[in-house]
Parts: sequence; structure tokens; C-alpha cells
Amino acid sequence: MSGAPTLAGAAAVAEAPVEGSSRPTRPDTRAVRASRRRVVFLLPAAALMGVLGVFPLLQLVWMSLHDVTQRTINAPGWQFAGLENYAQGFAAGESGPALGRTLVVVLVVTVLGMVGGFTAAVALRTAGRWSGFLLALMVFVWALPPVVNGSVWKFLLGDGGLVNTVLLALGAQTPVPFLYDTTWALLSVAFVGAFAVIPFNALVYRAALLTIDPEVFEAAALDGATRWGEVRYVMIPAVRATTLVLLVLTIVYAFRSFDFIYVMTYGGPGTATNTLPFLGYLQAFSRYDYGLGAATSVLAVVGVLVLAAVYARSIRKEEADS
Amino acid sequence: MRIHRNDAHTFSARRLATTAAAVAGALALTACSGGGSTGTGGSATGGDGTVTVWHYFTDEQQVRLMEEYKAMFEAQHEGATVENVFVPYDQMNSKLISAAGAGQGPDVVVFNGAEASTLALAGALAPLDEHWDAFADADQFPDSVIHEVDGTMYAAQGYVNLLGLWYNADILAEIGVEPPTTMDELESAMAQAKEAGYQGITLSGLPNSQGEWQAYPWLTDAGFTYEAPDAGALEAGLGRVRGWVEQGWLPQESVNWDQTVPFQQFAAGGFAFAANGNWQQGTAEADAQFEYGVVPLPVGTDGKVYLGGEGQAIGAHSDDPELAWDYLEATYFSTEGQLLAPEIVGSIPSRADAAQDEVVTSNTLLAPFAESIERSGANYPDGVVPAEAVADLQLAMGQAWSAVIGGQRTAADAARGAQATLEGLLG
Repeated sequence: MSGAPTLAGAAAVAEAPVEGSSRPTRPDTRAVRASRRRVVFLLPAAALMGVLGVFPLLQLVWMSLHDVTQRTINAPGWQFAGLENYAQGFAAGESGPALGRTLVVVLVVTVLGMVGGFTAAVALRTAGRWSGFLLALMVFVWALPPVVNGSVWKFLLGDGGLVNTVLLALGAQTPVPFLYDTTWALLSVAFVGAFAVIPFNALVYRAALLTIDPEVFEAAALDGATRWGEVRYVMIPAVRATTLVLLVLTIVYAFRSFDFIYVMTYGGPGTATNTLPFLGYLQAFSRYDYGLGAATSVLAVVGVLVLAAVYARSIRKEEADS
Repeated sequence: MRIHRNDAHTFSARRLATTAAAVAGALALTACSGGGSTGTGGSATGGDGTVTVWHYFTDEQQVRLMEEYKAMFEAQHEGATVENVFVPYDQMNSKLISAAGAGQGPDVVVFNGAEASTLALAGALAPLDEHWDAFADADQFPDSVIHEVDGTMYAAQGYVNLLGLWYNADILAEIGVEPPTTMDELESAMAQAKEAGYQGITLSGLPNSQGEWQAYPWLTDAGFTYEAPDAGALEAGLGRVRGWVEQGWLPQESVNWDQTVPFQQFAAGGFAFAANGNWQQGTAEADAQFEYGVVPLPVGTDGKVYLGGEGQAIGAHSDDPELAWDYLEATYFSTEGQLLAPEIVGSIPSRADAAQDEVVTSNTLLAPFAESIERSGANYPDGVVPAEAVADLQLAMGQAWSAVIGGQRTAADAARGAQATLEGLLG
């Protein structure tokens, strides 16, 4: 269906150089041709993005405006419901608390992820056997599938897991209810989310730190700067632009928290770890109210889109500054 | 035709554009397709003699039973092969429904029987009426294991599963109590077990349909029914189990356990009791290093225990439904196949003739389950729940159950919330 206009557009692009070729080559013609060639290169990526990104997003919005259940999902023509699904989510008292929990997760993941990432990057800035080993370990953690990562942490944080065993050996009276207490469970899944993002942030920060001219550190040392002084007055200002970009990326990552919740708590105890993405999953794939689930997911997408716009702006600004 | 010095360049650009267009077109066409009759990754296989069976079993013995059925069918049907494909429990329905939307899916589905209506409404299951009418042994199956939606049959169960009270006989002997027959006796035994340094009971408190399945006996014991839901009775049932957590008899961690984990905990030897199913018999034999036994769940006269188990059906988009039916007829629905279930897993055959076989009648562990079927057995899901509300209701009740065990909500608060949801769903 969608292949037809794409093919026509591509054919038009293909014709362009043939017409141009019969005229003498002028600088502006060459520029136009180069520009058109770029469009050709962009075409496969644009088509892929349209099919796998834009189309599902439009369908999600479309679904959120209709009454779609297991009975009608595979039937043609969904019944229009307007904004009823959105209203229902809030009226049932589900979307509001889920949004609150999502914000808690975003806060924890962002703070721990950014501070942890920067700290690790500072520690790993210098070359050496240990920093090389730690770097490799971080890449390993970063590359681990979330389901594996989450399952490992579920074992580690259980009553009989490593963390509680150590705490009990250190004198704790009872195991810490990491995954089955209302407050602890939310903090635990947020912590694991932060743990998983730290390696990525550290790698990006490390790359930014390595671009600082060594003479700057020498100058700082001559001025009597301490280790903390180097961090405070040299490194932090030098990675300011990177921090902004990374901050937006980390918030977006935290906003769509799903994997670890699915594996570690399934939203429980009760609904204590139901964030917006997980609530949307439950509504669509456990209650089979696809319209309601789509509406909740649209709310999450809107949050991510706002942050994506901030990200795009910050990237443009950074490019303009450099 | 004029030869231009830029021709080579132009040709290259044109070829590039054509290639790009072809790639884009192919991608678009791929996205538009999906309604083909063949499947990928374990779905229907183009009628090449392979029966693809989707299941969600992780328990070793249950997986072994699937393998035995595969061997049995392949031995009987030369040239036919069976491919057992694992799909996680909570992804099974969504995968089946989305596959059905794309005109794909497995040949045979082994799924939670309670969710037959969800799958049938979504068009993921093929009607079985024709095969069933022609099936000579159809009269061996009781109505309770036949799943119909709007007058059409979609699935049958080869066996029945239900919950019972497993006990650690060594612990009970040590504390000097008999296996409990009433709720008071159970609570007293748990208290004594705790005093002796053991833990009380394991069960699943997951906030999903497994939680609802586990909660039902304890809630109905307190007088709760779906026919006339009463928030007071619900609060009493939920409050009793929360009390077990507060007394230290039931680990609050059970909110993170599916039904497999609590039995592993019981089999490790530290718990006096486990509210778990007959399908754990194989695991108990393999793992428990102590004497154990089973009694019916000590629910009172009002208490009910769901008669569950997996439904077996043919996928709506099976490319070889005849072979799929042959598989079901030769395994799950045959006497020989049904007798493997009690032997390997401990499930109770659904066929009348198989249920009378010595394999079943001589099994002392199955006797309490059979007694429970007669005394407290209830249809799963309850007949008063509309087909479209089953999944919604199970999640709402599972979440209430989990919220109370985990301390997120008080029993009164959770009961009020669940009651309001039920009123909306049950009308």
C-alpha cells in the first residue's frame, strides 16, 4: 500500500540527474544534484523509520481514540470513542498515580545515572589495567539484555539473595524488603534502571573528558588545584554540553521504564510499581482493552516527545556553538 | 544518442536511485504483508507435516510431558514432526492475538483454560465442533472441561488441575500435629511450626491471574462469591491472609513469586505447608528430601477451589488443522496420553475411563485432590463472569490480593476498590 508513493517519489529523484546531465555543469547545478543524491541516500532510512516508527505511532494514537478490545482488535472498523479512553484512565484512578511513580523513577534514574556516570568517567579517565578492566565490565553490563539484567537483580535483591545475605552478616536483624515493600520496590526498580544506564553515561562522559587538552590540567596543577578542584573547575565546565544532551537522553530512558518492572515486580506489590509504560502494557495485554492501553501509552509518548524536542534543540545549539 | 562525459556518473546515480527505491519498496511491501498463511519462529509451517505447539511450561515435569506427547505422536504418524515452542505465560495471549491479526499462529495451543473466551473472541482459536462431533470418545469428557463461547466449542482439557494443601510430614510430626482439616487447625499448625523455627506456608501473591487463582479458595471460604460480591466478605478473606504475613507465617516476598517458586521453597524443606497444585507431584518426587502429603485445602462449606488446567485447541490459522486434530486426539484426548499426565506431572485425567485407571486410583497423592473436586470444585472462571470481563476481573482481583499481602493497601481499602471494579464488570 504505502510502497506506491514511495516508489514514485524515488523514480522522480532518479530522473533528475538525467535531465541535468544534458546541460553544462554549473556550480549551483552541481549543488542541487548533490543535494538530490543525499535525498536518495536518505530514502531507505526514511522508509524504514516511516514503517517501523511513524506508522505504529499513528496507529497508537488512532487506537487510543477508539474502543478496541479482544473482540474487535482483529475486526475491521473500530468504534470511535473520542477522548473517552483518556478520561477513563484518570477517572479510574490509575493514570494519575502511575504518572507520579513514573516521575519518581525518572528522578532516581536521572540523578543516580548522571552522577554515577560522571563519577565512573572521572575514575576511568586515565589509562591503566584496572580502568581497562572496569571499562570492559561496563560495556558488558551495558550490552546485557534488560531481561537478563533484571533477573539477576531479582535474585540478588531477594530475601535469600546476595545483598540481603551480606546485610544480615553485617548485623541487620531482618532482610530488607527490596522487591516486596511498596516504597522499596519502586526505589529498587529505579535503582536497577540507573545501574543499567551508568555504563552508557560513563562511556559518553569519558569520551568528552578525553577531549580536554592535557595542558589545561597542567595549568591547573601549576595553580595548585586539588583533585576535587580539577573536577569542579576543569572537568564539569568542559562537559557541560555533553551533560545537557546526556541528561535529556537519561530522562527519556527513565520515562519509558518497563523492562525491569516487568521482570522484577510485575507492577507489584499490588500496583506499587505500575509506571505509565507498564500500566499501558497491563491495560492492553493483560486486560485486552487496547484502546485504554493505547491512551496511556500516548501519554507516555507525549512526555518522551517533549523531551526529544528539548534534546533536538540542545543538539542544534551545541553544534552551533562548536 | 549523444554520449556525454557525465553519463557514467549519471548512470551510477540512476542505478543508486533505483536500488534505493527497490529497497524502500521492498520494506514497504514487507510492512504491508503479514497476512500470509505461512508463519515464522514457531508458527504454522505450510502443511509440511509439522505440528507446532505453543505452551508456557517451565516446570521440568510439565516440559517432559510435552516431550512424551511429541514422541508418542511422531511414533504413531510416520513423517510427522512436533515442534514444542515455549512462550512465557504472560505473553501467550498477546502473542496469539497479534499473530491471529496477521493471519498467523501455531497449529496447537496449550493455554490457561480460563482464558479460552479471551482467545476465542480475538479469533485466535479454530472452532472444534466438527472434530468433536466426529470424535468417538467425546462422551468420555465432562462438560466442565469443554470450553464454549457463544455456543461454539473452541477447546477441551486433557486433564484437570486444582490446588490442595501440601504438607511437610516431617515438620508436622516434629510439632505433633495432624494435617489440618479446618482453617483453625491450619492457623494453629502454622503458629506451632513458626515456634519450632520453621515457616508457615507458601503461595503466590503475584498481581495477575495466577494471584486470582490462588486467592479464590481463601476468599470464598470467607463467604465471597462472584455471583453476589460482598465487600465485607472480601475484606475478611483478604484480611485473614494479610494476618498470616503479619504473624510471620507467610513471607511477604510471595508477591514476587509465580506458582513455581513457592513450591520450590516448600520442597527445600523450610515450610510446613504449600497451597499448590497437583501438577507439582513430579517436582515433589524429584526435589523434596522429606516425607510429604496432601490434604484438601481446609476451606469451609462455602469455600471453593477452581478446577483449572490447560485447554488444548487448534490455532485459527493452523496450516494443517487436520494434523493438529490428529495430534490432540492421539495425545491429550486419548486414554493412553491422559494416563501419562498423572504419572509424570500428577494431573487428573479428564476422561472418565482414564480417571478410573489404576494409575490414578492407586496414587495416594491424587486422592485428596479428587476429594476436593467433589467437595469444593468450582468452574474456572466462574460462570457468572461475562466472557469479555474475565481478563479484567482476574487482573483486578490479582492486584487486590497482591496489594494486601504486600502491604500496599489495607484489606478494607483493597476490598472496596475491587468491589467497585467488580460492580462495573459484572453489571
